[in-house]
Amino acid sequence: MSLEELSKLVEDGETEEAEELAAKLLKDGSDPLLMIEELTKTMGHVGDLFAKLEIFLPEIMLAGEALSGVVKVMEPYLDAAGGQQVKGKVILGVVKGDLHEIGKNIVGLILETNGFIVKDLGYDVDPLTFVKEAEAMDADFIGASSLMTTTMPRQKEIIEILLDKGIRDKFKVIIGGAPTSQMWADEIGADLYCKDAKSTPDALTALLA
Amino acid sequence: MTTAYRHWEILERSTTGPFMDEDDFLPRRFTPTLKKLIKKYEIKYDPANPCPTDDAMADRIWQAAWDLFREVGYYNTDSHRIMQVSDQEIKEALYMANDSYLVGAGKDAVLFEHRQVEDSKTPFCIMSPDITCDEQYHQSICMAYLKEPLLDGICGPILEKTFGHLIESAGPSEISGCIQHIYNQKMAARLLGRPGTFMVAVGTAEHDSGQIAVSDDNWGVQKTDARLVGSLTEFKTADTLLNRSLHYAQYGSYTGNLTGAIYGGWCGGSEGTAVTTVAYSLIGLIMHGAIFNQHFPFHLNYGSNTTRELLWAISMAGQALSRNSNLLYTSNGFANAGPMTEMVFRETAVHAMVSTVSGWNLWEMASTRNKYRNRATPMEARIGCEVGHAVARQGLTREQVNEIANKLLAKYEDHAADAPIGSEYHECYDVEKAVPTQEHYDMFRRVKDEIADLGIEFPY
Ligand code: B12
Repeated sequence: MSLEELSKLVEDGETEEAEELAAKLLKDGSDPLLMIEELTKTMGHVGDLFAKLEIFLPEIMLAGEALSGVVKVMEPYLDAAGGQQVKGKVILGVVKGDLHEIGKNIVGLILETNGFIVKDLGYDVDPLTFVKEAEAMDADFIGASSLMTTTMPRQKEIIEILLDKGIRDKFKVIIGGAPTSQMWADEIGADLYCKDAKSTPDALTALLA
Repeated sequence: MTTAYRHWEILERSTTGPFMDEDDFLPRRFTPTLKKLIKKYEIKYDPANPCPTDDAMADRIWQAAWDLFREVGYYNTDSHRIMQVSDQEIKEALYMANDSYLVGAGKDAVLFEHRQVEDSKTPFCIMSPDITCDEQYHQSICMAYLKEPLLDGICGPILEKTFGHLIESAGPSEISGCIQHIYNQKMAARLLGRPGTFMVAVGTAEHDSGQIAVSDDNWGVQKTDARLVGSLTEFKTADTLLNRSLHYAQYGSYTGNLTGAIYGGWCGGSEGTAVTTVAYSLIGLIMHGAIFNQHFPFHLNYGSNTTRELLWAISMAGQALSRNSNLLYTSNGFANAGPMTEMVFRETAVHAMVSTVSGWNLWEMASTRNKYRNRATPMEARIGCEVGHAVARQGLTREQVNEIANKLLAKYEDHAADAPIGSEYHECYDVEKAVPTQEHYDMFRRVKDEIADLGIEFPY
């Protein structure tokens, strides 16, 4: 029973077996920090496979679930070893009027599998709801997706509400979706534009640094 | 007749069907069922043959699609309930569905018909840029499409602005934009002397309200026209969408169901994409009372469907539908490359030939990954529809098309990821006259000759 086997189980999305093995490894004295490091690498590998579509959305999602399961098992050990590494908390959604949700779903999944905590608000989400949910979660990021030129103004509204409430500095606002761009992000004062899901985790981490 | 008579029984299931959390619907219900059925029916992608000849597999795909729809159902994201139908209801709807509808009006009316695999009947050709355009070009682009001889129906470009105001989703500007859209399109058809041309309208409508605002037999979308209702990827709907299909039926225009199964997403690979596409035709028929289905399966990363993994799915889905039903369905091409590039012409030609020989009618062509304003022109649609007509009239077989498609694929396949975005409409068309520039026409001609050399006999 080894760390490699655990990695393989996570990659294959075998949640229950991965949880069992993780519990056993921890009981036998494996270093939880080392385990997390290894599993982070595994998820990076899974992410690469998905980026090339050598595996598909359902597979990466199962791997993500297996990872979450393992992390749950590890929680007490991680806390004892100096705490878990949460890279950031994200409120994510598709703006009001817009039903295009695939891109947002993928971004959410990639963030979760890279150590972020994501609360997905779904699609057709009111700008004020983004803000309220971000406050409730004490989020680091608000991620807003828009797939239509006609709903891009809703991204701007999120920022306006933050300004009006005097809490603009509390959250980093991240935007994405096919018609959006760096130019639009600059225009509305968003903190970050990401053109795809793959680049998002690193870009968010860099923002917090 | 259409199957809209079942609307109320179906809609009721939005509130009486089994409850499920939306988060669970795709990962716990849709994908596992699909995977199970692909295995059970032994469906297997074959990369060597983008246009396969396998009747038995086509029939198994049909069966898998039927089971998928019946077992999984259609999820209403507003009520969080699953709308399900029985085998009996599917059979009844298929029995009641016509194999042809007369669409459009007066002298411009055309028969929109079911096609067989390797049918010598030419495909019904709907032409559409599928993208947004600048307000100043809208009328011209509508004109340019309506000038296409092989056009049987038009779906015009989408407006981003109306009288200089940015259209905002669900706001008054959307209503105005929708009216402007249909006015431009109808006026273009009248000026060109084909006022009764069948229209699928209006793409500018993002909400039920936008569609309802243009239902008018005098100046708007007429009863001889069609409109679309989307399905949410995958197998999901919402009240705002069900509102549309009910309105279309009650108003009396034709309904088309707009669906794009995503390769790499919840359907997985080519096998799942093919099965899901077929199942969507049943969803359109039964859940929305649609007379046709507008399918645009596409690649998650590229946003296109002209590479082999998608062509295979399109071909098999078409064959499955053609051999087992009398339904109407259009194959909507999505190219990687943009206008006035040799690549977009080749991609469209391949999409059209594979679709046509597999029993589809055509809907061409979303260029440049369906992403960039002004980047689609009637010239791509023209080559696609000319190829479709040629393939049918010539009576080409799937094997023959497969061979030609493979030769053309070899020229562009490796560039799917870095395809050229080409030109915008006004850079390769004379906007005032709504005709292609000489350079654009010459490029079209060159690629057409190249395709002719591969064995396609164009009628002109
Ligand atoms: C699939 C699709 C649909 C499906 C959506 C299914 C669903 N539930 O999601 C259906 C059929 C329902 C649909 C409906 C409509 N659609 Co549509 N659709 C598309 C299409 C072809 C692909 C979108 C997609 O899923 N891409 C795949 C994903 C993976 O890519 P992505 O979304 O870009 O996401 C990636 C990045 O952008 C980024 N990202 C995305 N969001 C975020 C957020 C953050 C925070 C970050 C960091 C990154 C990020 O990461 C993602 C992964 O890499 C696009 C065209 C296009 N090429 O984008 C048109 C498009 C978006 N649709 C369009 C239109 C017009 C419509 C309709 C109005 C059509 C109609 N007349 O009915 C309706 C609108 C309904 C509504 N109110 O929303 C237009 C919008 C035009 C405009 N005004 O800008 C487009 C652009 C097509 C076009 N060129 O005209 N559509």
